[in-house]
Amino acid sequence: MNVPTGFIHQEGSAFGFGELEEAIVLQGLNIRNDEAKAPLFTTGRPAATLEMFPSWPMRFKQTPRGSSKSGGGSTDSGSAVNTISSKTENQLEPESPISSKNTTPLDHQQQKQQEMMASDVSRTGASQNQSIAKLPQEKRRGSTSEKQLDAKTLRRLAQNREAARKSRLRKKAYVQQLESSRIKLTQLEQDLQRSRSQGFFLGGCAGAVGNISSGAAIFDMEYSRWLEDDQRHMSELRTGLNAHLSDSDLRIIVDTYISHYDEIFRLKVVAAKADVFHLITGMWTTPAERCFLWMGGFRPSELIKMLISQLDPLTEQQVMGIYSLQHSSQQAEEALTQGLEQLQRSLTDTIAGGPVIDGMQQMAIAIGKLANLEGFVRQADNLRQQTLHQLSRILTVRQAARCFLMIGEYYGRLRALSSLWTSRPRESMMSDEHSCQTTTDLQMVQPSQNHFSEF
Amino acid sequence: MHYQVDSWGYYMPRMSMGSDPMERVAKLASESAVVIFSLSSCCMCHAVKRLFCGLGVNPTVYELDQDPRGKDLEAALMRLLGNSQAVPVVFIGGKLIGAMDRVMASHINGTLVPLLKEAGALWL
Repeated sequence: MNVPTGFIHQEGSAFGFGELEEAIVLQGLNIRNDEAKAPLFTTGRPAATLEMFPSWPMRFKQTPRGSSKSGGGSTDSGSAVNTISSKTENQLEPESPISSKNTTPLDHQQQKQQEMMASDVSRTGASQNQSIAKLPQEKRRGSTSEKQLDAKTLRRLAQNREAARKSRLRKKAYVQQLESSRIKLTQLEQDLQRSRSQGFFLGGCAGAVGNISSGAAIFDMEYSRWLEDDQRHMSELRTGLNAHLSDSDLRIIVDTYISHYDEIFRLKVVAAKADVFHLITGMWTTPAERCFLWMGGFRPSELIKMLISQLDPLTEQQVMGIYSLQHSSQQAEEALTQGLEQLQRSLTDTIAGGPVIDGMQQMAIAIGKLANLEGFVRQADNLRQQTLHQLSRILTVRQAARCFLMIGEYYGRLRALSSLWTSRPRESMMSDEHSCQTTTDLQMVQPSQNHFSEF
Repeated sequence: MHYQVDSWGYYMPRMSMGSDPMERVAKLASESAVVIFSLSSCCMCHAVKRLFCGLGVNPTVYELDQDPRGKDLEAALMRLLGNSQAVPVVFIGGKLIGAMDRVMASHINGTLVPLLKEAGALWL
């Protein structure tokens, strides 16, 4: 005779509705079984439904990972049982008089169920519901009621098992992802620390860490890493030029450098979405760079002006191409600037003037208008990116390599200037300490000039 | 056709009645050398208009918020561009150039001016 009560008494401190559902399903099936076999199955025992709520104390026994134990007892396809092994299992042994009567081989099965139930209890609720699904399979083996469990239920229970397994795998993947993110974060923080000590001044970070948005902070970290990469790329360019590599080899290095710039523009797209003001106020750059700030970055036509004199010798066609590029860039910059001015006028109209009829409404409209800033910064960055690409098209490989080196060094010097500026002596009497620092910083600027004049 | 001359210095023709919005777009785009679909409140549209005026081009501008069936045209343009921003959109010589980013890329890489000349919008 089946004694379905065994597994029902397993409920420990965590009683999930999933377990209740399973219990009801299986209890219902077993009631049908029992009714078919023995109409008086309730003799001497409380009604089946009442047995779902234990009325006697439970004895908890802690077992170590019982993977061998539970694995040994299982003859099913293994996936259900073996996945328990990752957690410590509590073994519940109810002291109910009823289950103590169970000395049949079924008892062994029910012990398995108990283990599984217990281990399920120690898991999260979601998997709890589905892992219970393993039980009926255990139960089925020894019982004669297997034919009573219809295909639909079996399928559903199998699906539950699968879902539980997938859920566990997802959780594992998520935890792993968290771990690797944590490691990456530590690394980034270390990089940040190192960059700071090397004199890369990170605008806004020095004093205002608490006031920075997360989008801005993330971008600052990514930018700081990009700057380190920039140094690396620049030495590759220098080495490449010095070594007189073939054009095709140099082309690879130049293309890599262009991709490196494409990378920062990609990062800025994300940053513009997260915190456009961080970009547009130039808080991500150094003070000296901020002098020249246009729409969240450098002004392409100014950059070309800086390069023109230094790019000799150029063919006539190249000269025409560069001047044409400068001109188009200026026109595009002018158009964007006028668009931005229109935005400012529109914003002023919304916020200022006249009585406040509906303050919240006005603010809502104003916020909508402010959102357009992101578009302008994006278009400005797009312009910058296109300009750099066009430059590399007009110039030969060697010229392009020199050109990008010049750009990198120019901004490096601006950053050094910012660094010097912030550490400049404020007292009227210059102390030895300060003058030493200044000299060292100046020396930092000198060597690059030597490299510069070689080409 | 009725024309209104406004401070822009270009003409804003009244839109003809068409059937399918996409057809209307194509029809309107082919009627002038340079066609810009815009919204009067949109600042990026203002920027693109200024770009063309700065080049010496007189574009034909359709302000969709001032057209009774502008919403349909906006939806059609969104589908055409494949993004959530319908405007600004530029057609040159009946051909779709694209939104602001494409227009600027085309200007920087030197292909915009030849296209304008080809369409008869610019004379050297």
